[in-house]
Amino acid sequence: MVRTSIRLVLSLSLLLILQSTGFAQTRMPQLKFTERTLTNGLRVLTAADRSSPTVAIQVWYHVGSKDDPQGRSGFAHLFEHIMFKSTKNMKSEMLDRLTEDVGGFNNAFTNDDVTVYYEVVPSNYLETLIWAEAERLSGLNVDDANFKSERDVVKEEYRQGVLAPPYGRFEYLLQQKSFLEHPYKRPTIGSIEDLDAASLKDVQEFHATYYRPDNATLVIVGDFDQVQLDGWVDKYFGPIAKPSRPLPRVEVKEPPRKSEIRLTEHGSNDLPAVGLTYLTPRQADADSDALRVADTILSAGESSRLYNSLVYNQQLAAEVNSSSETREDASLFLLTAVLSEGKKTEDAEKSLLAEVKKLQDAPVSAAELEKAKNQIITDQLRQRETSNGKALALGEAAVLLGDPSRVNTDLARLQAVTAADIQRVMKKYFADTNRLVLYYLPEATKGGR
Amino acid sequence: MLTKLLFSVALCAILCVVCVRAQTPQATPPPPAPPRSGTFPKPVEQTLPNGLRVIVVERTESPLIAAQLLIKNGGEVDPPELAGLADMTANLLTKGTQTRDATQIAQQIESLGGSLDSGARWDASYATVGVMSSKIPQAMEILADVVRRPAFKSEEVERLRQQYLDNVTLALGDPGSIARFVAARVVFGDSPYGHPVSGTAESLTRITAPDISKMHSRYYRPDNAILVIGGDINAKDGLALATKYFGDWQKPTTPLPTMSAPTANAAPKTGRIVVIDKPDAGQAAVYLARTGINRKDTDYFRGIVTNSVLSGYSGRLNQEIRIKRGLSYGAGSALDTRRDVGPFVASAQTKNESGAVVADLLLGEIGRLSSAPPADVELTPRKAVLIGGFSRNLETVNGLVGQVGSLALYGLSLDEINRYINNVQSVTTADIQKFAGTRLDAKTSNIIIVGNAKAFLPELQKKYPNVEVIPVAELDLNTALLRKKQPA
Repeated sequence: MVRTSIRLVLSLSLLLILQSTGFAQTRMPQLKFTERTLTNGLRVLTAADRSSPTVAIQVWYHVGSKDDPQGRSGFAHLFEHIMFKSTKNMKSEMLDRLTEDVGGFNNAFTNDDVTVYYEVVPSNYLETLIWAEAERLSGLNVDDANFKSERDVVKEEYRQGVLAPPYGRFEYLLQQKSFLEHPYKRPTIGSIEDLDAASLKDVQEFHATYYRPDNATLVIVGDFDQVQLDGWVDKYFGPIAKPSRPLPRVEVKEPPRKSEIRLTEHGSNDLPAVGLTYLTPRQADADSDALRVADTILSAGESSRLYNSLVYNQQLAAEVNSSSETREDASLFLLTAVLSEGKKTEDAEKSLLAEVKKLQDAPVSAAELEKAKNQIITDQLRQRETSNGKALALGEAAVLLGDPSRVNTDLARLQAVTAADIQRVMKKYFADTNRLVLYYLPEATKGGR
Repeated sequence: MLTKLLFSVALCAILCVVCVRAQTPQATPPPPAPPRSGTFPKPVEQTLPNGLRVIVVERTESPLIAAQLLIKNGGEVDPPELAGLADMTANLLTKGTQTRDATQIAQQIESLGGSLDSGARWDASYATVGVMSSKIPQAMEILADVVRRPAFKSEEVERLRQQYLDNVTLALGDPGSIARFVAARVVFGDSPYGHPVSGTAESLTRITAPDISKMHSRYYRPDNAILVIGGDINAKDGLALATKYFGDWQKPTTPLPTMSAPTANAAPKTGRIVVIDKPDAGQAAVYLARTGINRKDTDYFRGIVTNSVLSGYSGRLNQEIRIKRGLSYGAGSALDTRRDVGPFVASAQTKNESGAVVADLLLGEIGRLSSAPPADVELTPRKAVLIGGFSRNLETVNGLVGQVGSLALYGLSLDEINRYINNVQSVTTADIQKFAGTRLDAKTSNIIIVGNAKAFLPELQKKYPNVEVIPVAELDLNTALLRKKQPA
């Protein structure tokens, strides 16, 4: 119900392929889409699916928390909230009147690289929503009271995500400490001090800098007539001018790690946790596919290696996870464990490292590789059950991978990953010198060591 | 029979209000086109000779199938001192059968790319598989094996017990989870819905392998079960699979267990204001909790529309607490209907300092349902929210199976799916006023706040002198008193 998940981890989009064992053949349809670019630079991707009378509309802005202005960490995300306030022709929360009130919904998310706004509505409202999205791309008209009240909402979001849950700050610290130079070191939610420092002037400036047609991708999936849709897009988005000022881009490169980083922090948690991160390449890198399969082998399901070892066999951990968290400029591979009662962080770290080493020392079996690929295919089918899910996959391929057709080719890339590929990337990226280790211990144990 | 699904109710009424103010063609939203209609799938059902009720509901948009085996009892049949027994029993199904150990079960189902989950909730225990449609026969074989022939080995019981105990520890670190546990005890006292469904630190240590086997043999029987298969499969194939894997499941000669009825304890005290003091809480969780209605109540649709007026992004609670005042990331409510009367809960998390203000706002909005019930201009959009959400839920295989399973569990007509929209539409302003006044009276509601009490207690006590304050270290979830007995 609540707008704005901070970091929606989008998994790689996969193509539907043919599986031919058993019962009957599973049909795996391709996502047929059209692409065009308006003269003002707006890219438009559309895919018709008339199976139910609904349509998903998304606008992907290529701006994320890595673009937060200096001293304003959390600003891109705060700005995302402000985009639901007034424009020249829309009152505050009018988007909710046009979506929620007619049986649809809207939401948005911000991550390090992108800000995405989306609506799902009965398809007879499509023209209305195209008007509304063009309206908020044209400009905001927000007053100070609205700005401050929404900023308070974001501060509560910070408290709810970082301060209240026992491991909220653990996750925050893992992000913050894993990058030394790149602005990815500023977590998307920002900090209370920087949020307090933000002003209405920053809002206008940020909109003028990043919210422009040549920095946006409109994605529409669902029930529509192509000719009619193209006409509406031209009518409402066409007149928006492309600014002549240059579009700033983050140029900072994260330097390679030279030696292991070890940190200990304390929090309100009762059970200790341990987290490891490794720097991995940018999302579009060819190695991302093998890293995703490795991630699946490590932690997808109860037959995964980490669950088997740390949770089931050794009973060291209450929870264990891995994640190949890809980003546009540089990525992280994370391994985390929340310990079981009475267990030691040192032992959990050792066991996590042992699983890394196993993947480096020996190739995975054909059966294990096949299992991981089946898990990835099923995951993708679930993600793409709805129009909104299909639009997310299409937007991600276009904006973060730089090629919308990857929505239909990525599964073939994953299918091509071999056991040798996995072993190779595990050796390449999981060196001791490329590791950060964070121990997150209960406050009560502070000073006892 | 296929029923029309109309999303867009009379909403052009609202948009036309906007149209009147039109100045230039660009300045107002273009009005909607006439709505297109859609259809809901129609469930097909058959009861096998052993009493198992099988329901197949076809939806072919994605090559996915989910199959859910429901047992018609869950946490409500836990003996009071063994809270968590039904949930542990259901969870252990997938941890070993007579021919497969836990590792093999996970290995085999995940090799299909599938998932297998089991657990208990209120009124039901379940085991659910989800797979690509080409893998459904193998998945059904595993589902039948875990439901019918679980081993309940003592080493698996011990392993799971430790995991449950760790989860209790994790939950007790989170103000929102603590508030949910406390709310259940406050509303239901020592009756069946009062305990945490996954048990307490104390009850979990008492559960034995024989308790678990007894729970299984008593409740897991074909004539106390429902199998729902949904997704990319037709009725004939679905029924054939059900017969193949569940047809020879023997019905015991013993009579069926009787459905639970709440023990006839004195009704719990109402109007309690309970503060759980957790000085290190990063935020306060504020809950208003009271009894609601049961699923078969004739007020069901009046109840869910009333709840929709309060809840959701533009519902009254979020309007007042988040949108107008910036006091929370989100406020909402839930009318949780069960076989017996379930809870109604309204909640928000806020900075510790605002705990008392948010409690006031929650109470105020419940009261305002009677004093200022929603006119059509407010009510129509809130109905559209319900209808839209219901329809979208049926667009996924899991949502479809969940909806159909829930209707079957409570003995409701499966055709209610097709009457849902009309039932929602027929609720009036007067219905809501009456429902709120008689079933959700603010005066008999309870308030629970979990947070750093120092920050909000003085303000709260001004209004409610009889606040009960319990330090989190003294919290006892095993009793309606909520407080550990002081050593004599």
